[in-house]
Amino acid sequence: MGNVVEHFGQLLTSLRSPDFNERENAVRELGSHNEDAAVTGLVMALEDPDTGIREMAADHLAAIAGVTAAPLLIRFLGHDDIGTRNLAAEILVTIGAPAVPAMLQHIEDDDIDVRKFLVDILGRIRDERAVEPVCQRLRDGNTNVVCSAAEALGEIGSAEAAVHLIATYARTEDARLPVVEALGKIGDRSTLKHLYEFLKTDDVMIRYATLEAIGRIGVSDSVKKLAPFLYSPDRAIAETALMAIIHISNRSNRHDRGATEDLPLHRFTSLLFDGIRNRNEDVTKFTLNRLTHWHGNTVIEELLGTIDFVDDDIFRWIADILAGVGYPAGKMITKKLATASNRFKIKLLDVLKYIIVGDLAEEILPLADVQDPEVRQRVAHLLGISGYSRAIQTLKKLALDANGHVRAAALSALGWLCAEDDIDFIMTGLDDRYPEVREAAAGAMIIIGGPKAIAKFSADLYHPEIERQRLAVKALGWIGELDVIDPLLRATSHPDAAVRKSAINALARVGHLTDMEAIKATLQDENSAVRKAAISALVSLEGTNAIHDIRPLLEDEDVWVRYHAIGCVGEMGKKEFAEYLLPSLEADLDIVRIAAARAMSVLGDRRAIPTLNKMVGEKNRELVPPGEAALLNTGDR
Amino acid sequence: MEIKVREEGPVAVLDLKGRLDLASGSTLKEEIKKLYETNHTAVHLNLTEVEFINSSGLGSLVSILKETRLRKSRLTLSNLASYVQEIFDITQLSHIFEIFSSEQEALTSFQSPVTS
Repeated sequence: MGNVVEHFGQLLTSLRSPDFNERENAVRELGSHNEDAAVTGLVMALEDPDTGIREMAADHLAAIAGVTAAPLLIRFLGHDDIGTRNLAAEILVTIGAPAVPAMLQHIEDDDIDVRKFLVDILGRIRDERAVEPVCQRLRDGNTNVVCSAAEALGEIGSAEAAVHLIATYARTEDARLPVVEALGKIGDRSTLKHLYEFLKTDDVMIRYATLEAIGRIGVSDSVKKLAPFLYSPDRAIAETALMAIIHISNRSNRHDRGATEDLPLHRFTSLLFDGIRNRNEDVTKFTLNRLTHWHGNTVIEELLGTIDFVDDDIFRWIADILAGVGYPAGKMITKKLATASNRFKIKLLDVLKYIIVGDLAEEILPLADVQDPEVRQRVAHLLGISGYSRAIQTLKKLALDANGHVRAAALSALGWLCAEDDIDFIMTGLDDRYPEVREAAAGAMIIIGGPKAIAKFSADLYHPEIERQRLAVKALGWIGELDVIDPLLRATSHPDAAVRKSAINALARVGHLTDMEAIKATLQDENSAVRKAAISALVSLEGTNAIHDIRPLLEDEDVWVRYHAIGCVGEMGKKEFAEYLLPSLEADLDIVRIAAARAMSVLGDRRAIPTLNKMVGEKNRELVPPGEAALLNTGDR
Repeated sequence: MEIKVREEGPVAVLDLKGRLDLASGSTLKEEIKKLYETNHTAVHLNLTEVEFINSSGLGSLVSILKETRLRKSRLTLSNLASYVQEIFDITQLSHIFEIFSSEQEALTSFQSPVTS
């Protein structure tokens, strides 16, 4: 113990050393302790001539101190050196709530600076225990302390302080500004009636603050108190009032929107649309919400001027608004397109997507020659959306464009607009070097359908490229007319397994098959995925009649074919099929047993009970839930 | 195909069930035309129970969409089965139809401040 005291004594002595390093080491050493003596030493170091050492001491104090340090630090609030005073204040803020009781003890200190500092710090700590003592300081003899007290109460935000602040407004003219600001921060709606009165002030600064405070607290009824200020010749006052209305309006629900319907928003066009451009969320929300009852070409023009600056969600919102305006907005967009930069053209075209009809499509035809491929791609897309049949020639030109994305967009659009007469042209896209273009051509042909498309895809089933064969079989399935059945049946014996599988899947979906032999033959296919597809197809086409064909596959060499066949038998839901699954319950592979148990939980068969009981007692816990479910359905649980 | 029409506020909702092909596509076109002629401007097709759609069915939908645009009305689709969604994707029709994952989402979109 004696050694410790001696050691601290040496450290405290070192703090007075002329040697910087010795003092710095002493502070570092003191910072590693939290005994009172160490705190005292660190507080002493706050007066060190070197800033770095002072700050190091402050950091240590903030980290280790607390209750012990607070009274010592408070003494420094009256220090001659402003740097030391500020350092002490910062440490007290960092210590926070534990320092509050000590500060409250000194809040009536004789030194004005100490009182003011304490009130400021208490405001920053925001501890509710300080409310009543700080309210007392609103009656301080020194106006600076009163102002600081008002600010602090605003920071703490307790409604309890509101009545004291309102009394201070009447009593201390110089404190009115912080009082109003504090009332705004506290947000107690009961103060609104007083704030409305404060609006009558001749002091412009107080009026600004009051408008802002009402904006923070106000309700929809407050709008009529603020509305007259929108006509103020003082632009700043008018705009402050508008911002207050915006805040109130955005907080209100939709039903309260009527309160803002008759506002002279045309006086603030620049502010509102600049707000959208500057991504001010409040202004954007308010403005866009008001556009249901704020019309006119100027507004549409301004709105179009924002679309290059907003994020995707707001862009969609604006596009919706313009779509609501409809044709007139479309006309303005097409007029702007002629002179817009390519980047802006793209944005405008993206909006036009929601509006475009025939004659607007006519106006964008010249854009098919614009150098930027992104513009041409969008033009192709829009022409398709427009349903404008006179755009077909332009789209055919774009389908031969040098850019693959443009060709793909044009071919898709042709699918939406063309009839079978144009299919010869569209099918040339199947030979394009890019898959995106080939798929677009196939998509267009699928929509148009008909004998030519079917003949082309039927021929493509034997195209030299395997990818074309696979696209063709899928396309035939998607066309889905009766005429695709024959080529699909032939494709069940195609050399490529993926084609055979797709053909079987497509036949199952198309239906209307009278002869199942081709599909039944694929139950013997060398490829397990094909055999699985054949099982599904037969179940889909023949229902429970498929059981005799499927039954041999319950013993298939491939475990996943067995698994699939068992599942399909279960889904057939016929109790008499349960006996076919009994051997699978005793299969070597657990996955097969699980499938059989699941099927049995649908079909139920008491003969399965001994095997199922054995199953639920086995080590592999994955067997238990299906086993129990099956037992439940057999009536054994 | 079964087509049931119901009103959800201002929106006429058509529940489709079965296969959308040439015959059912024509019936659907007629049903929607009737709605437009009785001043409906908002139509939603719930495709939950559409199990199959072929080239003719797609053609009918495209034709319905063109009619919708001409009449300055609005058509939405929802609940596309994965197979139907696949066809909409390959044909790029998913870019020209307004497609929602649920009927509720589609109906909510009709209530947006602008379009309401």
